Parts: sequence; structure tokens; C-alpha cells
Amino acid sequence: MNVNEAINRLKAIQPTTNACVTIIEDDVKTHEGVLSDVPIALKDNVITKGILTTGGSKLLSNYIPPYNATIVDKLKQAGGVIVAKTSLDELGMGGTGTASFNGPVRNPFDLTRQAGGSSSGSAVVVAAGAVDIAIGSDTGDSVRKPASYVGVVGTKPTYGRISRYGIIPYASSLDHVGYFTRDVRLAALMCDVLSGQDKMDHTSLPYPSTTIAPSLQDNVKGKVYGVFKEVLEAIDHPQTLKHFDAVCRALESKGAIIKTISMNETLLRTCLPTYYIIANCEATANHSNLTGVNFGLTQEGADVETIMTNTRTHGFGPLIRKRFVIGSYGLKDENQDKLFRKAQKVRRLIVEEFNRMLNECDGLIAPATTSIAPLLEGANMNVLSNAHLIAENYMVLSNFSGAPSITVPIMPVDGLPHGINLTCKIEDESTMFQLALAIETCVKEGL
Amino acid sequence: MTLPSSTLINMNKDMILSLADELNFSLSESEVVNIVNEFHSLQELLALLETIDTEGVSEMVYPFESPLLTLRDDEVTHELPQSEALSNAYKAKEGYVSVPKVVK
Repeated sequence: MNVNEAINRLKAIQPTTNACVTIIEDDVKTHEGVLSDVPIALKDNVITKGILTTGGSKLLSNYIPPYNATIVDKLKQAGGVIVAKTSLDELGMGGTGTASFNGPVRNPFDLTRQAGGSSSGSAVVVAAGAVDIAIGSDTGDSVRKPASYVGVVGTKPTYGRISRYGIIPYASSLDHVGYFTRDVRLAALMCDVLSGQDKMDHTSLPYPSTTIAPSLQDNVKGKVYGVFKEVLEAIDHPQTLKHFDAVCRALESKGAIIKTISMNETLLRTCLPTYYIIANCEATANHSNLTGVNFGLTQEGADVETIMTNTRTHGFGPLIRKRFVIGSYGLKDENQDKLFRKAQKVRRLIVEEFNRMLNECDGLIAPATTSIAPLLEGANMNVLSNAHLIAENYMVLSNFSGAPSITVPIMPVDGLPHGINLTCKIEDESTMFQLALAIETCVKEGL
Repeated sequence: MTLPSSTLINMNKDMILSLADELNFSLSESEVVNIVNEFHSLQELLALLETIDTEGVSEMVYPFESPLLTLRDDEVTHELPQSEALSNAYKAKEGYVSVPKVVK
């Protein structure tokens, strides 16, 4: 895939999928490297110097940044060419791809369905064959769930492994840079390209770039795949379960050990409310800088206060306003102990329990979602059911704990893409890609 | 589900509007109704948090303890030219972001 082919393909899929905010036709290679002349798409919350960066929000729909995110410079130094800024749920806050200022993103395999979110457009441009690499961000599962819905590899390395300097934030204690690729080997290479300490990001891990791709193998003899018991029990779709089991049997035939591992179900059911409180509270604080005074789509007003109010009223969508109200409520002095701090304490207990599970295996696996991508109008699930609280939202465990996590596509369910999620111990991306490659190999070999 | 009294949120329209005012945005009537309903639904989820004993547990504010770079020398590492810093401002004058007079 060369740059011109990518641009043509992006233009071709845009009317049906709405995957892009901006298609970039004038970027050129500035360096030689492992990604020389490789077309790359960026989620539109990645800051790009001189190129519109909206964050999916009307409030930023005129924002031309004066600097690059660190990962943009890294991609350019590796020879990459930026060909698109992709659609996302506003400010990364949403899991459907339907809450962007520029309209909903559609799943290329069934245009009546979601592509998932919030990294919707990035998932779609890889799935539709327009690019081989697209950057996303993952605060709850915003790379790994869309990857399952469109049948591509979605990776989120360890918290801090990839610099977040120049990424429009959502919730700082949960935000990770992630990315989509067509296969696991390229995912490993991208970890090598994007990782490494960045002094511009004080949450960046103090290590050099990884060097995983050159020696990546799919030998999993003696490796222990932990099967997430409660997630499996919360899924009632027969084909999802059948395909997952088939992959486990194939891994066993390669010498891997399949071991069922259990998590305290009461704690597991608190993941979603814990996330909801922490994410909304952090987002409310993070986005207080969007005032329209220094940048953004400013609305006129007689005084500064009125300018800010008019700008934020006009610029934020209803979903964002709702989340900010909830976050602001949780941050009020009288509510912090029973909501925000309570959620942070529960998070610690959840992470301790999750790390115990990860210590019992080399990698923990489960179906990434209960089934295929929901219709655009959304899924109709009982919010207190285990299917919703556990099977549809367990991947947030990797955001709570910072553990590296990857979704690998397996066999279609009901004729549409579906994937397995794999999570490993923090900083152990090497094992993660090894175990993921074995899953991919099993599927490619027809199990 | 019976909710523990500690999680009950008696949210009403006036409280929603007050929060929105603090956040510097306005809400439509339908948005207010939607948010009140959201708070009612939220209580069922928050009740789950209440079931967890967190006595003696400290807050987790980041995923893990790590030798992160939290301090650095006070040296200039990069600069943003004034013209570029002001390039997205709604109004700029004499090298500053310009806003309506605060003190009349």
C-alpha cells in the first residue's frame, strides 16, 4: 500500500463510513526508517502541527496546533507519512463512534452497525484496507473493542510505555496511546517505534524503546493462557463461546497450557461504576481549559465569563455536557469521599485482584466482546446484568492496572468480525506479542 | 434493588442547572431531564461500589508505582514562538490574548 493508494482508498470509503475528519494529501516522507513511505492515520485527538486537530469536538473544529505530539515526530522519524486524521467520539468520551461533531462512524462490514469507539475512524481505516497502521487512544477499551468489531489487531501497551505528550486527554490516570494494525507482527514493530521515555510526559516509563519485533516468535510451548472464568460465564452467545473454545484447543495443540482463572465477582461487577466515576471526574477537570479564549471555536460575549459560557455551550455535544455534570458532582467537596475517593479505593482492590490473576498465567484471555458490533442505535442490555457489567466492560481492568493488552481477530460470529482479548503483566509486551502471534497463527492455519 | 441510603442522590433540576453554571455551559430543558434520569440510573451502579469494604484502603491515583520522572531541572527544553502561541487565540493584541475589559 503506497501513499497515493491509501489516499484514494480513504476518499472512496469516506462517504459510507465517515471514518475521517481530514484526509491529508500533502504530507511527505522526511526520514528513512522502518516505516519509510508507509501511510499512517492518526486519531484526531493526536496533535499535529499545522494540521486541523478537532478531538471530535465542535469546540476545537478550527484548531490548528503549533506543535506535534511526540508520537507524530516518532512516526515521521521512522519514515511514516500521515495521510488522515480519523473520527472519534467527542474528546474520546464514548464507546460507540456515534458522538462526534462530524457525525457517526459506520462499520465497513455492515453500515447499519457501529465500529465501536472511541477510536472508531482509526479502526475503520485499517479494516477497510486504506492503511496498515492507525493510531488510537484507549481509556476504557477504546482501541481493543473497536478492533474486535472490525476484525483488526488493536494494541494498548503498558501505561507510560508510549508518550502521551500532545494527545488531547480524557482521563489522565487511565489514558493510553494505542494503535490498530492488520497483524500482530506489525503491532510489535509499532511498539518498538512508538515506545521510549519522553521527558515531555512525566508519566512516561523511564526505559528506552522496546526491541520486540526482530525476535518475535509464536512458540508457546509450556506457556500458560489463563481463561477469564467470569467473562466466559457472562456470555451466552453460542458461536462466540464455540470459537473461543476452538482457539483454546488449537493453542493446546501447540503445547500451550489452558488454565481457568477466576476473579472475585463482586469486585468485577464494580469495574464499570468505578470507571464511570474516575473517568468523568478526571475529564471534567482536564477539559476546564477549553474556554474559547486561548484557542477553539470562540463565541462572542460581553465579558470573559460570557465568552466561556457561550463557547462551551455551543462547542460541547450533549453527551459531553452530561458527563461533565456527573464528573463535577463527584468532585464537589461534599461528594468526594463517597464518590471519587471511594472509586479510587475500589480501583486499588480491583487492581490487586487483577494482578493476582495475571501472576497465575503468562497471559489472560477472553472474548473481547459478547458478540458482534451493535447496531448504530445501540445495544439494549440490562445495565446490571453480568453480560453488561462484566463481559462487555472487563477490558477496563487493563486501564485500571496499566497492563499491556491486545485484541486479535479470530473467526467471524454471525458473519461479522470478532476478536479475543489478551492481557499480560505490566511491562511484558514481549510475552504479549508472542502469545498473540500464536493465536493469530492458529486462526490463519484454520485451527 | 434496595439502595443504601449513603448512595442516594436527590438530584433535581435546580442542582443540575447549578452544576452546569459552575461548568460554564447552558443546558436545554430536555438535557436537564436526561441528566436527572441519568443520575437515577447511576445510583444503581453506585450501590455496587457501596458493597465493597474500603476501610484502610488508600486511593489509587495512577495504575502502578513506578520510577516515573516527576522532577526535572528547570531548563528550557523547547520553545513556542509567541506568534504561534497566539495563532489560535480569538483575539490577540500587542503580544497578548485580548479579552473584553474585566474591570470597567
